[in-house]
Amino acid sequence: MPTIKLTSVDKQYDKSSPVKAVDDLNLEIGDGEFMCLLGPSGCGKTNTLRMIAGLENLSEGAIQVGERLVDSANDGVFVPPEKRGMGLVFQSYALWPHLTIERNTDFGLRLRKVPKAEREERVNHVMKTLGIEQYRDRYPSQLSGGQQQRVALARMLAVNPEVLLLDEPLSNLDARLRLEMRAELKRIHSAFGTTIVCVTHDQWEAMTLATQIAVMNQGTLQQVGTPEDIYDRPANRFVAEFVGSPPINIVEMHDGGDAGLRQALRAHLQGDYAHGAEIASVGMRPENIQIAASPAAVSDSDFQRPMVVTAVLPTGGSWIVEMEDNGSQLFATTNQPPVLNAGDKGVYSLAPGAMHSFDGKGARLQPLAEEARATQNIRVAG
Amino acid sequence: MKYRLRIGWREPTALIGVLLTVLFAYLIVVPIISLLYDSIEIQFGDGRRAGGQMGDLTTYYFDRALFSPVASDLFWEPLSHTLSVSAGAITLSLSIGGMLAWLLARTDMFARRWFATALIVPYMLPSWTFALAWRTLFKNREVGGQPGWLESMGYTPPDWLAYGQVPITVILALHYTPFVILLFGNALRRFDSQLEDSARILGAKPGTVARQIILPLMLPALMSATVLIFAKCLGEFGVSYVLGLPVDYDVLATSLYRSISSRQPGVAAVIAMAILLIGVVSLLIDARLVRESRRFVTVGGKGSMNRKTRLGIYRLPATAIAAIIFVLSVCLPLFVLMASTVMKVPGLFAWDNFTLDYWIGENLDTVAYTTGILYTSDLWNAMWSTLRIVGFASLCSGLLGLLVGYVVVRSPVRPVGSFLRQVTFFPYLVPGIAFAAAYLSLFAVPRGPIPALYGTAAILILALMADQMPYASRAGISAMMQLGKDPEEAAQVAGAGWFRRMIAVVIPIQKGALVAGVILPFISGIRGLSLFVILAVPGTDVLTTFSLRLLDYNYTQAANAIVLIISAIAYFGTLAAQKITKTNLADGLGG
Repeated sequence: MPTIKLTSVDKQYDKSSPVKAVDDLNLEIGDGEFMCLLGPSGCGKTNTLRMIAGLENLSEGAIQVGERLVDSANDGVFVPPEKRGMGLVFQSYALWPHLTIERNTDFGLRLRKVPKAEREERVNHVMKTLGIEQYRDRYPSQLSGGQQQRVALARMLAVNPEVLLLDEPLSNLDARLRLEMRAELKRIHSAFGTTIVCVTHDQWEAMTLATQIAVMNQGTLQQVGTPEDIYDRPANRFVAEFVGSPPINIVEMHDGGDAGLRQALRAHLQGDYAHGAEIASVGMRPENIQIAASPAAVSDSDFQRPMVVTAVLPTGGSWIVEMEDNGSQLFATTNQPPVLNAGDKGVYSLAPGAMHSFDGKGARLQPLAEEARATQNIRVAG
Repeated sequence: MKYRLRIGWREPTALIGVLLTVLFAYLIVVPIISLLYDSIEIQFGDGRRAGGQMGDLTTYYFDRALFSPVASDLFWEPLSHTLSVSAGAITLSLSIGGMLAWLLARTDMFARRWFATALIVPYMLPSWTFALAWRTLFKNREVGGQPGWLESMGYTPPDWLAYGQVPITVILALHYTPFVILLFGNALRRFDSQLEDSARILGAKPGTVARQIILPLMLPALMSATVLIFAKCLGEFGVSYVLGLPVDYDVLATSLYRSISSRQPGVAAVIAMAILLIGVVSLLIDARLVRESRRFVTVGGKGSMNRKTRLGIYRLPATAIAAIIFVLSVCLPLFVLMASTVMKVPGLFAWDNFTLDYWIGENLDTVAYTTGILYTSDLWNAMWSTLRIVGFASLCSGLLGLLVGYVVVRSPVRPVGSFLRQVTFFPYLVPGIAFAAAYLSLFAVPRGPIPALYGTAAILILALMADQMPYASRAGISAMMQLGKDPEEAAQVAGAGWFRRMIAVVIPIQKGALVAGVILPFISGIRGLSLFVILAVPGTDVLTTFSLRLLDYNYTQAANAIVLIISAIAYFGTLAAQKITKTNLADGLGG
């Protein structure tokens, strides 16, 4: 299985306008990886996928699959989609409505002139793996959404692609089916060992499926990393705010809200970062915020502030607590029934190291502790 | 049961339903039955030849039209001409229209929006506009009167180019190309380009994708366009009349016309029945195909894409092709007609050859019409009676359409609703000329309390109304479906009676639908020829028949001028209708 390497890829639809759909994208997708391209709609993730597939041309840059250069704007190399040996599953599934499920599935094998016996064997195998063999003589419109999804997958898996591309594969399914198909995809990934590139705007999909996530915004790559990296060490404010629900609480350190809160934060974070680092904003994940009726319940090393609860929103099994710290609105989530009700006074607290700080440009500031650990690791590795 | 009846009859809806049922049975079903009788009953004056008394049953007319020595002239040759002309027109318009539809729907050709409207224009104009233009250009010495442009320039066009199959085919093709563009373009626009992408990803080359994916999925739209064009060609009268007559090139419609004008109602009835039968069968096939194709409805919906193909270096040539077709099918014919009405010697482009005499001249040295056409009282009479007849018929059918919609949606008695829905749709299956023949057969003589209507405006109005009912009732039904019961029931609870509810709630809400239901039939009525040519007499001349009569007497310029006037009314009327109702012509297809 090959590595996919994108080098300085640009995609520009209108040469006269400065807007680029994809802007200077460098990305390496390792062999056997499950890479999710995550971002809000219009961020260029689908364009990137279509360029990898060869359905869209590059404006600038190059794409390499394994040792093979498949697309290069400068060298004039372009391998058409039908010669790239990839599979692509669309959001709409795009099953051919005039062909039966079986004919949909063996379409690629027929094109490759695979002998009948082998063809049947492979189609049977894939259909059985995905549990759709009983529908082989039906037409796509006679299947439910989840079944169609499976057929769309089977159609691509039948030709044994080196790379499987998925474009918002689960967005047309209802919540329960989505859960099932997520597990299914994970299983397929380990069963077939295929490199998978998946486009999604759903952070949970990315978190649960991917081995690597690439977060994109407005055509540029924001961060690449494991789901843990993305969540625990967001490279910038965009990533921090995009991932997580309810979204991360952000306190602007320059203006707005309560000066007291800013002072307290500055004092609390003082020693954590390199000297002279300018903290422009601080992020607090809702689930890292504990609430209590009185300061007594909180450990001393924690960051701690008084607040007033403004609303408690049960979400079934967990609660979202909306509160106010002198004009700054904050959200916390908890799995325990909250001890406070709307209008009650109390305190909230965060454990040391549970905050994310960003500089004036929105980039993440690395805490000293983390830096030290990294150096240590290098030393160990060396 | 009694209770049920009382509930059912409490509202005037049921009463209106019954009245409408009787009315349409009489306007639509009875004429067809009368036509059937005409074909198997001995007609006035045929007693001796058919060997029986007038009114006896006979197979004489069927024998004569289908098996006698003259059958080939009366029926079989016109049939084969009709078939070959339609086959040619279908092939041509499918290939031209298909290409244009693709260019418009799926590529980045220049000025797509403009072309999308411009290329539909030929459909708004009467089809025989093109026939007249063709005749103005190519008419040769075979026929008397003013020569065509080419002839007067010194080149005699051969007969095959001037008259008959070739020009009829080309003109019908040009006229129905917009039809293909609309039908096929819609299907293409709905086509999810991810279906192509999936195939390419799996290794299919563009040719394979076109053959195995796009073509099979477009087939229903293609077949549908084919059948509809065929059904339209079947009833096409004007073009074949103008261009077929000089070389005795008859199609079924003109053969029917000849039989009627030579007073052979029995044979005419047989031919009309044949046209009717072919029309019904082909449209049933179409309905079948549409149902079949539903199996192919693309699912998913969300995330489907319609990407435009980049034409690259072919962008300019593609635009040029579209422009050429626009010029050929709109600019050239209109220019030729326009120019012909201001030229003394045809085709001579010299400054002193131009004149406005044919429009506004006085004391011309012609036998009749010594003034320009705009000064002739005949024109204004024809114009007036056109507006009166077509206008009244459209108004009636618009209102009736809304009522039919109301009854179909509201009626507590189901069979009434479904009967009305089907019977009002039936004229759609019957080519206008066959329908006119049916009307002639029913109303030529007094029947019961109804006097002979032939020669009056009433027969035209009734026939037009029936002919327009399919569009009117479809518009009415869909408007009523959308409205739902709530607004009316709210008024009812507030204490409004039925009449009050109609005036204060239903009609005001359905204003737009009503206007559309009147204007669109009006336009198609104004440019229509086949109904009038059979049913109109000089006393009830409308613009179209007046123009045809002028043409018969070789007042070419005057005839052309009138066709231009009709075209202008049809074109601007369509634009106005689209403006008022904020719809697109694509929705009102088929008019």
